[in-house]
Amino acid sequence: MAISLSDSRVLIVDDNEFNRKSLALVIRRAGITQIAFAENGVEGLKAVDSFRPDLVLLDVDMPVMNGLEMCEALRRNATHEQLPVLFQTAFDSDQEQVRCFEAGGSDFISKPIKPGECVARVRHQLEKRKLFNDLAAYRARVERELSHARAMQHSLLPEKRRLQAVAERYGLTLDAHFETSSELGGDFWGVYPLDNRRVGFLIIDFAGHGITAAINTFRLHTLIDRFPMQDAAPSQWLMQLNGALKDVLPTGQFATAFFGILDLTTDTLTYAAAGSPNPVLGVGGDIRLLDSAGLVLGASRHARYTDQTHRLPRGGFLFLYSDALIECGGADGQRPLGQDAVPDFVRAALEDNRAHPLDPMMERFYARTRLPLRDDLTAVWIARRA
Amino acid sequence: MEFRSRVEQDTVDVQLSGRLEFTDHDRLRDIIDLLEGPGLRRIVLDLSVLDFIDSAGLGMLLILQEEAEQRNIKLVVRGPQGDVKRSIDLAKINEIVTIEP
Repeated sequence: MAISLSDSRVLIVDDNEFNRKSLALVIRRAGITQIAFAENGVEGLKAVDSFRPDLVLLDVDMPVMNGLEMCEALRRNATHEQLPVLFQTAFDSDQEQVRCFEAGGSDFISKPIKPGECVARVRHQLEKRKLFNDLAAYRARVERELSHARAMQHSLLPEKRRLQAVAERYGLTLDAHFETSSELGGDFWGVYPLDNRRVGFLIIDFAGHGITAAINTFRLHTLIDRFPMQDAAPSQWLMQLNGALKDVLPTGQFATAFFGILDLTTDTLTYAAAGSPNPVLGVGGDIRLLDSAGLVLGASRHARYTDQTHRLPRGGFLFLYSDALIECGGADGQRPLGQDAVPDFVRAALEDNRAHPLDPMMERFYARTRLPLRDDLTAVWIARRA
Repeated sequence: MEFRSRVEQDTVDVQLSGRLEFTDHDRLRDIIDLLEGPGLRRIVLDLSVLDFIDSAGLGMLLILQEEAEQRNIKLVVRGPQGDVKRSIDLAKINEIVTIEP
């Protein structure tokens, strides 16, 4: 790749005026016009700060501060860690060359200067630097945008204050945890007051994670409002959502889901599910996994779902979570929690903190899991106050 | 995920092993390429030694189903065990893909 060197800046540090001039002549012919000079290491360091070169051509033997010392000083400064330094050395010995590299030099050219070699090495270093800078800038931009998108995604989820308000209205305890794997994720959850006695809970996990999955959660968010929950059974509502997702999702992309409606007057939970991990229902001392098998959303237009109803009186709870909770393994090859262990996991957390067991659950999960998470984690604790 | 394939008459038998997950999307292309074999009528995905499948892996089964259907090839998923069977059952993939024990 041949790039133009006309906007590259080169600093020549050499105590010999003849050397400075001839080096400048050689690189000027290669198209480099922005050249600054220094006569020893101390001047050279100052010039690096004021001139901000893209490359330094550095003599080894100089008064006041030699080239090796100057290069070492540059490398101690994080700003100049990547600045290419080309040593020019009169000694062609192996030992001398090793000293240049040990001081942090990027490469060297031998004196007397051979114009062709000199230009080739200068060009090589400058091209490498340009590629590196382009990549670093690109990466910084992507990171910035991902972090904006992440904030947007978090804004789709219920805010703490809203959770509190809903919890008060229906006499519940509502605690939630949400963490995405690679900046963005495919998890989504929501709480929907339907009327004075009924409140709906939805948890959805799009296959995969990262940008594609996150875009799907934004799609979902616009779809949810299109289908009123008030007058539909959970199974019907999932069917409508399934149809809409099938229209927009390419083959291979789908979502697992659980949608349940808590009815305070009948003390029941009625739900339909599409392959989400088995939620945990706790009533009295009985803690068990709910059946949540169902064709995943967006895979087939013909998907049908069924409603199931369970008692959920005061003092009872429902625990919803995404598959990261049971599928993320630990460092040192520790096995993931697994579906069957979840009831005991909940039971142990309740012993630690009966009112807010989500805290000890998350503490235990993170203590045994390797970070960063391989998948998005959502966990929602819904309990009816006694 | 690793896979081994064997062609016998009009059937290609593909045995998957290890973990089928998000990071295997590029390998999926290699399996789809197997569908291009001349005179192929059937593809059998043998999952009996597959240890784990995540939601992205289930998505790959759905993609394979569509790719096979478009070429008039019958896809059969055979012998999922343990956690893999559990994940396939939970997501009811059997409503779209033929699953044999």
